[in-house]
Amino acid sequence: MSAPKKKTIQIEAFRHRVVADPKYAEKTWNILEHAIHEIYNHNASGLSFEELYRNAYNMVLHKFGEKLYSGLVATMTFHLKEICSSIEAAQGGLFLEELNRKWADHNKALQMIRDILMYMDRTFIPSAHKTPVHELGLNLWRDVVIHSSKIQTRLLDTLLELIQGERSGEVINRGLMRNITKMLMDLGSSVYQDDFEKQFLESSADFYRLESQEFIESCDCGEYLKKAERRLNEEIERVSHYLDAKSEAKITNVVEKELIESHMQRLVHMENSGLVNMIVGDKYEDLGRMYSLFRRVASGLVLIRDVMTSYIRETGKQLVTDLERLKDPVDFVQRLLDIKDKYDKIIGSAFSNDKTFQNALNSSFEYFINLNSRSPEYISLFVDDKLRKGLKGVSEEDVEIILDKVMMLFRYLQEKDVFEKYYKQHLAKRLLSGKTVSDDAERSLIVKLKTECGYQFTSKLEGMFTDMKTSEDTMQGFYANVGADLGDGPTLSVQVLTTGSWPTQPINTCNLPTEILSICEKFRNYYLGTHTGRRLTWQTNMGTADLKATFGKGQKHELNVSTYQMCVLMLFNNTDRLTYREIEQAAEIPASDLKRCLQSLACVKGKNVLRKEPMSKDIADSDAFFFNDKFTSKFFKVKIGTVVAQRESEPENQETRQRVEEDRKPQIEAAIVRIMKARRVLDHNNIVTEVTKQLQSRFLPNPVVIKKRIESLIEREFLERDKGDRKLYRYLA
Amino acid sequence: MHKLGRGHRDKIQQFITITGASEKVALQALKASDWHLEGALDVFYSQPQIRSFTDTRHLEELYNRYKDPYSDMILADGITLLCNDLQVDPQDIVMLVVSWHMKAATMCEFSKQEFIGGLQAVGIDSLEKFRERITFMRSELKDEHKFREIYNFAFGWAKEKGQKSLALDTAIGMWQLLFAEKHWPLVDHWCQFLQARHNKAISRDTWSQLLEFARTIDPALSNYDAEGAWPYLIDEFVEYLYENGIIQKDDYSQKQ
Repeated sequence: MSAPKKKTIQIEAFRHRVVADPKYAEKTWNILEHAIHEIYNHNASGLSFEELYRNAYNMVLHKFGEKLYSGLVATMTFHLKEICSSIEAAQGGLFLEELNRKWADHNKALQMIRDILMYMDRTFIPSAHKTPVHELGLNLWRDVVIHSSKIQTRLLDTLLELIQGERSGEVINRGLMRNITKMLMDLGSSVYQDDFEKQFLESSADFYRLESQEFIESCDCGEYLKKAERRLNEEIERVSHYLDAKSEAKITNVVEKELIESHMQRLVHMENSGLVNMIVGDKYEDLGRMYSLFRRVASGLVLIRDVMTSYIRETGKQLVTDLERLKDPVDFVQRLLDIKDKYDKIIGSAFSNDKTFQNALNSSFEYFINLNSRSPEYISLFVDDKLRKGLKGVSEEDVEIILDKVMMLFRYLQEKDVFEKYYKQHLAKRLLSGKTVSDDAERSLIVKLKTECGYQFTSKLEGMFTDMKTSEDTMQGFYANVGADLGDGPTLSVQVLTTGSWPTQPINTCNLPTEILSICEKFRNYYLGTHTGRRLTWQTNMGTADLKATFGKGQKHELNVSTYQMCVLMLFNNTDRLTYREIEQAAEIPASDLKRCLQSLACVKGKNVLRKEPMSKDIADSDAFFFNDKFTSKFFKVKIGTVVAQRESEPENQETRQRVEEDRKPQIEAAIVRIMKARRVLDHNNIVTEVTKQLQSRFLPNPVVIKKRIESLIEREFLERDKGDRKLYRYLA
Repeated sequence: MHKLGRGHRDKIQQFITITGASEKVALQALKASDWHLEGALDVFYSQPQIRSFTDTRHLEELYNRYKDPYSDMILADGITLLCNDLQVDPQDIVMLVVSWHMKAATMCEFSKQEFIGGLQAVGIDSLEKFRERITFMRSELKDEHKFREIYNFAFGWAKEKGQKSLALDTAIGMWQLLFAEKHWPLVDHWCQFLQARHNKAISRDTWSQLLEFARTIDPALSNYDAEGAWPYLIDEFVEYLYENGIIQKDDYSQKQ
């Protein structure tokens, strides 16, 4: 049996009948060319997009892409040349408008053309590595129109002229400007830069250079800065309105350089209106403006800061060396605080709390406060004044504020140990005369000092407070126990001071009146009865007494006097007249103290409970004193005591200084030993550096003193010199 | 000895002059080096001091000659007598060298141990030997190293017993003596300075550092370094020199 013959079906490719019409390309191109013309002639409405697209498509398909492309280039170029001439022909102000309009037209046309030729754009162009249609259109515009010799310069000049006009106050068409600059950006940022921006920046620089010269000759600093700020803001606004955003940084640089940087020095140092003048007059607005403008320039702030710093140092130095001012320590310190407040305010409101300025202020203060070696004493006197009366009636928060300010000054001191010495003295006087305004305030300050300097610094001070409290308790106990036996005698109040905590006092002789002696003895017995193994010494130079006095016409007064004065006055209970010699013999008070005491009793108006013959101010050995029957006073209570803390006289100051120096020696030695124990071997310079570092929270040691202490330690065989290198020291265990 | 030829005897003589050793030692050393002088010297110096046999009895006799009648020490009178015997001025600096050899604790006295022990150590047991040795001892001061030892020794020796520092007058006297040997141009200024400005005793550290100063710092102070960890007294001395125009600060002509 035979299989049926299968008929194989073959599928063949459809053969498209291409009419190899040689004129085909030409015909198609003509259609397209015509369309382009129409588009440029604003006659696009009559065209069929679909047909044109198909024609372009076909050309590319039939491998006529090259012809299409070059035709496009030629046609477009032709049109652009026409456009160019029309723009060139525009007169004056219409130039830009014409350019703008034609540019808009071109873009519209370009879009349509690109749509029509999209197939070519997507296939032929990439494979033939040609410029895409849109880009081509822009490039042609650039080359033919913008870079045409007549238009290029004219465009630039026009733009610059307009900007310049606006700077002089004219109103210009910003929208138009924006379009033009946008056009340039669209053509490529290098076009924008080369054909506009570069020149813009240069001519702006020239303009501002001249203007700044004018301003600086005619304006004072404040006005100049206002003008500069205005110009700067203008330029920023200008950019936002019609220039490319990237130009902002560049044009502001130009303004900053020409208006600010070139004249910085002159502005700051301008007489009668420069930085110093602004500072003195607290001109916050001007200062703030200067700060924000100068901040934009390298080393602008450095300039302000340096000038401010040297001014602060100068005025500070003057203040601390002004002998007149220094006579009133409280006022002096108040002035320091005022200065600090002033600058804090300036830095806060005008210099936006810039840390570098704060630091400069701090270092200046540190510099000049320490120029005067008595600053520690004065600050302590200031505190003393506040704690004795200045803080009366002040609210708790305000007290804290003042104390914090004092601490701030304290931190600037290099010689904190000197401050400690004076503070102790003044505190002792305050406590013993009962003259402190607020116990809380006192304690608050001690806490602050402790936080700043550590426990060591304040342990003795706290000891003083403890003593006061303990003494109160002791007195209560005394009266409870012995009170019944005392009868009508004088009332006694004793403060028992622990020797180590209180400032050392010389022990002076003094004969207490008998009435006082007996009760003092009773107290001594009571105290030693309850505290064995202790020794009590009466500090007669530190006590006070209240005396009831009756004068000639029966006027009674209560006199508040020092212990010495009491001793002297009580002598007059037995007689009306005494010579100096007699008083000296009877009271056995040291001469200089006695003389001062008598002066305050006899030579001060309103307090002269004694009369002196002769009436001179000085006490001579032969002078005679009388009880002043005729004494009168408005007040019932009359205060004659002199135990108030005062600015030391020169010799006293020397003495305190010496004691401080003596105290420093063991501290330096302790530091040296500590360091050498740890390091074992160290060279001289390093020892000095380390010691200084260790002690800097208390005082600044003198390198010569350190050297002497090292030698003393060598003598005492704590250290030795290295046998090989004489600059090295070894620790001897 | 008499058997030795002339040449040998000369060598022995030279050996003694150079080293200050005794004849016996010289003979030993030269024999050991086959009569080469240089070799003998090498041998001699490389060995610790050859303890030559000294007559202890003789030393005892010497000691008794000088010792103080009331105490077991040689005191000032005895020393004067010794110096006479040696034909040496008691103020002569060579006595310091002698004391150094004896490791004497204090000036103007020698204990028995110090006297006898000291002389034994240097091989002296008679006055003749002692006299011979004096010249050599004097020459020891020229040796840099020995001078420093003697100088530092002088501090402890010259100061009062039980004191830590040296009294100023004594120190000045010692310095003038010592620096006459080792010439230091600034010694007079130094002494004047001390008398004018310091007027206190001298510490050991200052004493020893002064020698360093004199040795290393040139008299025009061109290489003086203020940071050089010199004792403060020396720093003050430098100040004093500048202040009084004795030295010009930064005198470039002198630096050359």
